[in-house]
Amino acid sequence: MSGLTAAINAGATSLDVDQTTIEVIGNNISNMNTTGYSQQNVQLSSYPSLTMGSFFIGQGVQVQDIQRAHDGFVTNQLQNASVGLGYANAQTDPLTQLEGVFNVTDNNIATNTDNFFDAWQQLSTDPSDLTLRSAVIQQGQNLARSFNTAAGSLDTITGNINNDITSDIPQLNSDISQIAALNQQIYSTGANGQSDNAALDQRDQLAQSLSQSLGVSTYLDNNGMMAVQLPGGLPLVQGTTAMTLQEVTNGSNVSLQLNSAGVVRNLSDSDFGGSIQGLLDVRDQTIPTALNNLNTLAYQISTQVNTQQAAGGGLDNSTGVDFFNAPASSANAAANMTVTLTDPNKVAAGAAPTGTTTVAPGDNTNALTIGNLGNSYLINGTDTFDSYYANITATIGLATSQNSLAVTGSQDAVTQLKNMQSSISGVSLQDQMVDMIQYQQAFQASAKFLSTVDEMMNTLSTAITT
Amino acid sequence: MQVTANATYSIMQNNLNQIESNLQTLQIEGSTGLSLNQPSDDPSVISPVINARQQITETGRYITTMGATTNQMQSTDTYLGSIITLLGKAQTEAQSAVNGTNSTADLSSLADQVNQIQQQMMQTANSEINDQYLFSGEKVTTEPFTTNPNYSAATYNAADSTTWPVLYNGDANQTQVEIAPSESVQTNLTGNELFLGISNSNWNGTTTAASNQPESGKVDIFTVLSQTAAAIQAGNVNNASGPGGGIENCIANLQTAANQVDGLRSQLGNQAATVTNVTTQMQSVQTDLQTTLGNYQDANSTTVFSDISNLQSAYQAALDITSQISKVSILNYM
Repeated sequence: MSGLTAAINAGATSLDVDQTTIEVIGNNISNMNTTGYSQQNVQLSSYPSLTMGSFFIGQGVQVQDIQRAHDGFVTNQLQNASVGLGYANAQTDPLTQLEGVFNVTDNNIATNTDNFFDAWQQLSTDPSDLTLRSAVIQQGQNLARSFNTAAGSLDTITGNINNDITSDIPQLNSDISQIAALNQQIYSTGANGQSDNAALDQRDQLAQSLSQSLGVSTYLDNNGMMAVQLPGGLPLVQGTTAMTLQEVTNGSNVSLQLNSAGVVRNLSDSDFGGSIQGLLDVRDQTIPTALNNLNTLAYQISTQVNTQQAAGGGLDNSTGVDFFNAPASSANAAANMTVTLTDPNKVAAGAAPTGTTTVAPGDNTNALTIGNLGNSYLINGTDTFDSYYANITATIGLATSQNSLAVTGSQDAVTQLKNMQSSISGVSLQDQMVDMIQYQQAFQASAKFLSTVDEMMNTLSTAITT
Repeated sequence: MQVTANATYSIMQNNLNQIESNLQTLQIEGSTGLSLNQPSDDPSVISPVINARQQITETGRYITTMGATTNQMQSTDTYLGSIITLLGKAQTEAQSAVNGTNSTADLSSLADQVNQIQQQMMQTANSEINDQYLFSGEKVTTEPFTTNPNYSAATYNAADSTTWPVLYNGDANQTQVEIAPSESVQTNLTGNELFLGISNSNWNGTTTAASNQPESGKVDIFTVLSQTAAAIQAGNVNNASGPGGGIENCIANLQTAANQVDGLRSQLGNQAATVTNVTTQMQSVQTDLQTTLGNYQDANSTTVFSDISNLQSAYQAALDITSQISKVSILNYM
């Protein structure tokens, strides 16, 4: 008798296992589009055999574990590639905005500079004409305004970057604390000899997202807990403890601090990687360099024109009159550039009067000199105003085109790694379908087996009763 | 290696995005006609493009300036022609006074004619274009020639320009305009040089006598005309110390005056010829610059449009394949 009962038991374990497997397959299919989900596989093992006299007879099958398909190497590589993608991607928006400020259309600071000096050239053909004199002032105002606008736009872009950083912080802190919480959960489950696959997937996903935004590196400690570090080596998650990032407003700029259990530490740009570093680099390097050059240009145009304008004489014999407001230094020269000269008579088209002489209305010598400033290599002796602008613009253009290459390159790398990860951990519909058929048939076979054993037992009991 | 639907679709998605983004870039190039729309499109050509644009603006200004200068020179030339005509007329009147017998009334009438010529000469000397005096140097708003209230034939001194019949209120500065980089032309003739026969370097102002007067080969046209009138009035044919210094002497001086004007006229003519030459040259420079600029920043429309149609075919193919993928599934066989 014990033989048939044991056979029923063994058949029953198979039914259980097949159902569990079908459940897992169902779960895999349901999650085939879930980001970060790893395909789960049922690990089967047979029950220990019992000794029947001199034979070992198996007792059925059991689910030993449900494991996720996972390759730590690919996951790590994906994390590293995400750092580069985050860095490049974050810079795209601000760099595109910068390209708008330093544009190469027919209407930029260089063309306004051309128009301004052209107005002086035009004035030289008819220096007593008040309309042409007013035109010089108007073109000067246009030029000054284009500098003001450019400087203002750079401020706006800086502000946008600060906003981006500030708005990222809550999400980052939430990700960091979630990793710490998942560490706890995974540890507790692991202590019971089980693996919490969903939690593991989720933790990997969070780590990848943090790599992309902060450039973090991760490793697993002895307890299977994920430790998360900033590129500078400062810890964000240790065991079940999560640090928090906080922002401090520093003048108009936002800087970040790391708060670890009440101890606050200032973070510098080099402590980060990923998108935050991308944003900080544009904010703290690209934009200040561009602004600095813009200020130098505005300062040089203002001072050179002022010097020459002051050296000449107006229709009213005035001399020493500034054209632009005189900047003390190049700091903020672009933002503060304005035309202070309002009276067209004071535009110094002629040579300054000497002694008792007056400025002849037809004297165009100074207008010619100022008109030619646009062609002179007045910046460091190597650049004209236009070529200096061209240099600034080319620098931005180069940064943007490099960024665009970097985005494409790192996007490709991440896509490839994701595909590789998908080929390891992703859910393949055809695999699942084939497995489903396989386990469906196993279930049918086990059921048939049970009904056969049942028949055998019936035959036996009928024989006994008769 | 297992192939998952996720990977397949993400590859298709990336490819479609890539093609769309390239297509967009080409469409921008095609619709603007420019290959340089953003600094990042080609950072290396930004400097040449901005430089070419600057030069185009400058060259355009030079061409405009030269157009205006040519007009001014032509007007000036017309006035110079009428000055010579007036001087010729005066010569004819003087010649009539010498030839044949003239009564006192005849002589007075001839002298009046010459006086009228002097009036016309004054008007010509004070002519304006666009409210600016042509012959007043840089003092374009000052009437250049006025009658000297202190003039008297008795105190006239050829060495002292302040005793001459007409005073010059302009200055001795020639207007230079730039017609090419570092190349200027003189656009006007100063009144002192043209009418008074005083070189620009000798001019010391209205109230100060000019240096080194009289200059050899040069005459004050107004003095000559005044003297001619005086000599004709007095019927003084060849008495150098008599009124007007003698008609024959005056005829010679009128010829000198005509030569003086003619000399300056041909000088101006040369300048005008230079301007015409440079204008032609600048127009060809302008065309070259436009071509250069075009080479740097213009899209090659043939390439752009063939690239667009290539990409459209690729896009079509990618879309076809994407729709085919979904048709092949294990589910069709279960």
